[in-house]
Amino acid sequence: MEYKASELISKYLRSRKIPSTACSGCGLGMNHKIVVQAIQELGLGVEDIIWGTSIGCAGRQTFATWKGDGFAGTHGRVYAIARGLRVALPPEKHLILTVGDGDAFGIGLTHLIHAARSNANMTVIVNDNLGYQSTGGQYGWTTPQGSKTDSSPYGMFEHNLMSEGLDVMHILKGAGATFLARHVSMDGLKAVETVKKAILNRGFSLVHMPYPCPTNFASRELGSRNQVNIYRWIKDHAAPLGQEKEDTIWATGIWYDASNSRPEFSQMVWDTVDKIRRTGKI
Amino acid sequence: MKRFLETGNFAITEGAILAGCRFFAGYPITPATELAEAMSLRLPQEGGVYLQAEDECAAMHMCIGAALGGMKAMTATSGPGFILYADPYGWAIGCETPLVVLNSGRVGPVSGITGAPGQGEFYLTRYPTQGGNFETIVLAPNSAQECMAMTVEAFYLAERFRMPVTVLADQLITDGFEDISVPENDGEMKEMSFRVWPRKINQGPKFYPPSDEIDIAPVVLGHNTGALCSDWTPTEEGYDIEEVEAHHKHAYRLIYKVRNHRDLFSHHYDKKFMSDDPDLIVVSFGTPSRVVNSAVAKARSQGLKVGALRLINLWPFPDELFTARSKYLVVELNWDGQLVREVQRAVPKDSKVHFLGICGDLPTMHDLLTTFEKIIKNEPLSRRGWELEAW
Repeated sequence: MEYKASELISKYLRSRKIPSTACSGCGLGMNHKIVVQAIQELGLGVEDIIWGTSIGCAGRQTFATWKGDGFAGTHGRVYAIARGLRVALPPEKHLILTVGDGDAFGIGLTHLIHAARSNANMTVIVNDNLGYQSTGGQYGWTTPQGSKTDSSPYGMFEHNLMSEGLDVMHILKGAGATFLARHVSMDGLKAVETVKKAILNRGFSLVHMPYPCPTNFASRELGSRNQVNIYRWIKDHAAPLGQEKEDTIWATGIWYDASNSRPEFSQMVWDTVDKIRRTGKI
Repeated sequence: MKRFLETGNFAITEGAILAGCRFFAGYPITPATELAEAMSLRLPQEGGVYLQAEDECAAMHMCIGAALGGMKAMTATSGPGFILYADPYGWAIGCETPLVVLNSGRVGPVSGITGAPGQGEFYLTRYPTQGGNFETIVLAPNSAQECMAMTVEAFYLAERFRMPVTVLADQLITDGFEDISVPENDGEMKEMSFRVWPRKINQGPKFYPPSDEIDIAPVVLGHNTGALCSDWTPTEEGYDIEEVEAHHKHAYRLIYKVRNHRDLFSHHYDKKFMSDDPDLIVVSFGTPSRVVNSAVAKARSQGLKVGALRLINLWPFPDELFTARSKYLVVELNWDGQLVREVQRAVPKDSKVHFLGICGDLPTMHDLLTTFEKIIKNEPLSRRGWELEAW
């Protein structure tokens, strides 16, 4: 099923913030559309979702785009805010967080791990532009090995969460996340299907979605701001799980699906409070 | 009215529950741990939630989340944890989220002495976060019973001003056992001057009016009001905007909603022997004020014309209490002198302001009485080795 962006926009997004002020050629809009389209296909309304964001490119460009209620947290802390909010919100409300890679895997990793541990019902979409691009283009924790950025002029040489066989997904799985997936923004409708599953998991879901940044990442690493180059570069380095090639950086698809297999955090909290109230014990 | 022989931490817990608090997130830290423990026991009994956070930064952010979901929330810590509130504290100020924060002071800097009282965060509670362009409200009780009262009051002010309110206590008050009366109904609460303000829900579409008005309902998410809140400069609707004029309007509100409505809480102070223009006014807050009050009473019995001024509302600083042309002595639980600087600023120009600092313990009656006498006789004060700081 293909949707026109204009239909999704008029139904779900605020005209004041769309189109966004993102750089020309930025791939974030593709990720954003994937999420909104997943919401549409699930038949959810504006009132069903509370939309949280972080700061940086992904946070700022998606903040206040949702027609319903929304918030932007301090850098890296949105997962802690979301846990408190989850307890206070009615269980049927969905909590969707569109955040950046620096926010989720750098400054916010502790809070992200604890959100996964608690299996709090939220869908975290990590929009990964391969580093800190809103500050001009410094390397981050998923920047491919060897990449030249403003803070790695000789190439990024540190161990990274997405290099040498490491994958940030291992950490999140170990922490207790119940749905983990990865797609690059060109995955289109395949990514929509995955995000739908992520939203339907009553627990902690995370979808890692690398997207092209022509302005900063591509201009340093590929020496060109031509968006075609970076789109092709990301596509070439992505492959479906099980079909990875030697130069694959991002194995895409559903990485781990244990949807609805562990009790959800807020449900567990309220059930326990209720039991203590009635019986004085758990 | 129920009476208990219990700690300040117990009193704060009961005060929070009376004020409608049903969410507490915290991180264990001496001497606020027992408060978290008491909350973990009591909140579920009242249908509330206690959560332990991975650090203090997360604890306060979780409280913000719960407050944004419509719950009255509180967190508590000591100095080393309070510093980790810097991030969420600023967010709560900017988004105008009602919250209550308790800081039980110990001896710093850093971890310092964990089980002894200190007052090293007088200025930190005024400037708990970056950026400036805001006022904070800080209340400092000096007993377990007053801890309960000020916790209830903090929740009341947090709702009306839509902001975090800090209760600044110290290790002796929160850990110490005292006689505590807990009201059991609205009538008894009224008798004790406990005020409660219900959580309201802002219906929008203007969530951040550029005025000094109070009693504007806070942003609550989940009611499909289109509510927005973020760490950026908000437009009146809550959109992020990069514009100095919009930020100035926002900052004006954060500063003047407090400054222009100080009458709501500026009565929180205590004067003893102050009606006859004393020759020396002894200024303090928190636990040391209890020794100061005893010392001033004793000095009076010895014929010294000394009065005591105890601050409960610390911030915004009550300049109006310092109009008397007199000698002042500021007694604090720190060696560097913090409150004394504010007193020096607030007093009439030709007043002499002295300082007596001790940390980790209370000043003795002897120290205080000797100092009173020296100041009144114009004898110089001096440091007693590393033990006592006086000037």
